[in-house]
Amino acid sequence: MSALPAAAAGHGSVRLVRLFLVSRRVAVAVAAVVAVAAGLRVAATWHWDSYGALQLPLVFETGCAIVIAVATASPFGDEEPAAGTWLPALRLGSMLGLTVVSFVALAAAGTGAHLAGGLPDVARNLVGSVGLGLVCAAAFGGWLAWTGPCGYLVVAAYALYAAWHGGATHSPWLWPARPPDNVGAWLCASLVFVAGMALVTVRGARDTA
Amino acid sequence: MIAASAPAQARTQQMPADRLRSGARLLRLEFRHSAMLWLVPLAAGLFWYNAYRPVMAMPALWSLRAPSMQHNALLDFVLPVVGAATWMGSRESRRGTGDLTAIVARPRWTRQLIAWAALTAWALAGYAICVGAVYGVTAAQAAWGGPLWWPAAVGAAGLPALAAIGFAAGTWFPSRFTTPLVSIGTFMLLGFSTQFAHGATSLWQASPTISGVSGIGPDAGVATFYPYLPDLPIAQVMFAVGLAAMVLGTLGLPAASGSRRVRAASAMTAAAGLIAVTTAAGLISTSRFERHGMLAIPALHDAASDRPIAYQPVCGQAAIPVCMNPAFVSYLPVVTSALRPLLTEVAGLPQAPARILQAAPTFSQLSYNDVAVRDAAGIRIIAGARVLLASMPDQLPGERQPDVTSAQYAMQVRAQVGDALVGILVGEGSGQAQQAVRAGLLMASGVRFAGPGFRGDGLGMTLRGPAPGSAVSDAARRFAALPAAARRAWLNSHLTAVRAGRITLGQVP
Repeated sequence: MSALPAAAAGHGSVRLVRLFLVSRRVAVAVAAVVAVAAGLRVAATWHWDSYGALQLPLVFETGCAIVIAVATASPFGDEEPAAGTWLPALRLGSMLGLTVVSFVALAAAGTGAHLAGGLPDVARNLVGSVGLGLVCAAAFGGWLAWTGPCGYLVVAAYALYAAWHGGATHSPWLWPARPPDNVGAWLCASLVFVAGMALVTVRGARDTA
Repeated sequence: MIAASAPAQARTQQMPADRLRSGARLLRLEFRHSAMLWLVPLAAGLFWYNAYRPVMAMPALWSLRAPSMQHNALLDFVLPVVGAATWMGSRESRRGTGDLTAIVARPRWTRQLIAWAALTAWALAGYAICVGAVYGVTAAQAAWGGPLWWPAAVGAAGLPALAAIGFAAGTWFPSRFTTPLVSIGTFMLLGFSTQFAHGATSLWQASPTISGVSGIGPDAGVATFYPYLPDLPIAQVMFAVGLAAMVLGTLGLPAASGSRRVRAASAMTAAAGLIAVTTAAGLISTSRFERHGMLAIPALHDAASDRPIAYQPVCGQAAIPVCMNPAFVSYLPVVTSALRPLLTEVAGLPQAPARILQAAPTFSQLSYNDVAVRDAAGIRIIAGARVLLASMPDQLPGERQPDVTSAQYAMQVRAQVGDALVGILVGEGSGQAQQAVRAGLLMASGVRFAGPGFRGDGLGMTLRGPAPGSAVSDAARRFAALPAAARRAWLNSHLTAVRAGRITLGQVP
């Protein structure tokens, strides 16, 4: 069998990437991320009390994270891994790409507004929540990947509230309650992110069909 | 004979008992397959972390724990309930069984209602267990009073509405992104609804997470001396039930939902829900701020709720007994010991009260959401005895964040109740001798003073006093430095003259 011409191979690769992105609803995910960031922009112009101003960015960061996590769901089931060797790279690329898009969108939404914790906080909380969502995607499936970040949001929002009142120092695993420059919190959030990325890259979201 | 030419089989009429039995069977199936069943543990875990722990850390007063629980519990349940409901609502589309289920005996709307009912039942069961834990432990710990059921009822009424919203969103927009986005959107709307509620008539108060007047929050002085006003909770329940009916009714409007009769029933349900929502909103827009720290809605208000709750006060052992509402009995030792030096010194002096009785604080709404708490203080003759009615400090140790310690609370009592007591004895005149004696007596009992420019310490532990270095300040320090017996002897013979303004500053020892 003769090798495919380079142009045809390149065309096929582009098509493969496009089909993969379509299967994960990446375009809709990007639109959802932009909508969430727009929501943050609108919300940032309102008057908030201390609690609101503190917890508001976390809600939108979680919103972006769950969109990314849900975008891991595959409509093809077991057949997909058998179709080629590009799958891990496509999964990794799409997840990383969506994470970067989310960060850029949130950062753009926060430009000129006061976001509690600033951009480092946005980056850390986003990375941690995305990681949590990806771990849940690997465990429960893409459609149910939102459960982890959403549950974590409730816990973290309360931890932020308690930390603002000078309550007990929270574990670094509750990274949103730690200052943006806290190394322990960054390590924990990064660890969860790497674990989630690795799981989804290698195994993909669990097929619950 | 081909299938198309075969005579149609006569449609058998199902008996009501059969319909009921098959409906119950469908409900049982939905119970077993409801996503909420798997999310109840998540909700319970969130409730433990976010509601149970902080609520149980509060003093064991129903007026504190029940309203706090209402707010926190609903926020813990909103994500699991809306998430599960959206998930269940999108089930037919997700599994591609729309065509398959379209031909079953039950109309689509009925099937949807049964799925929603099963999900709501699981959510309510989980909520009941969580609330039961809070109420059960509080019942064992509270010294006085009974459970406030309305906060629990409002939370319970909110769950079916949340489930209906999620279910409808899942049905109408069966995308993978609907579940997380609707869940988090609802969480944000409910969680931040307190931010948008300004003033007594704000419609945001329809939110079931709002448990009282914005700007007060859970307060030991609210619903302890006067009954808990159910006006706002009634309107909130009406709103939540109406919203659920409206959303569920709308689900049945499309042609595919069932026969014309089914759709007529769904339209009537939606209309009834709309009427309930509108009525509740109208009622809330007429609410007014009551001086006891709650909201009254004229159309729902029962005048009997304005009468104070009768109770037998509990009194501490001191030269002048301090008597408190039995709900606060655990604070009686702190209050009594904080006031004991002053009480020992002034007991039996002219105008001295026979006892001090804790009074209800009064509240008034300022601009925006600021609320002023006024401490009642004054002499009243009860059963022939002079009784000083005085409010205790607004915040109990452990009541809310930022917290006050027991030592700070004792200083607040000394400053606030002590000032009220000394004011009764010395008089409220502006004479220098009066000021010096007042400040000296309070200094001797441990109260701290700051100069006229003092803006307050935020806790009410320090009183505004004479300017440091002034003649009044020097006289006050001198008077405070006297032995207690000498001070008391002088007061015994000169207090009436001090009150009348006949003593000069130089005559103060």
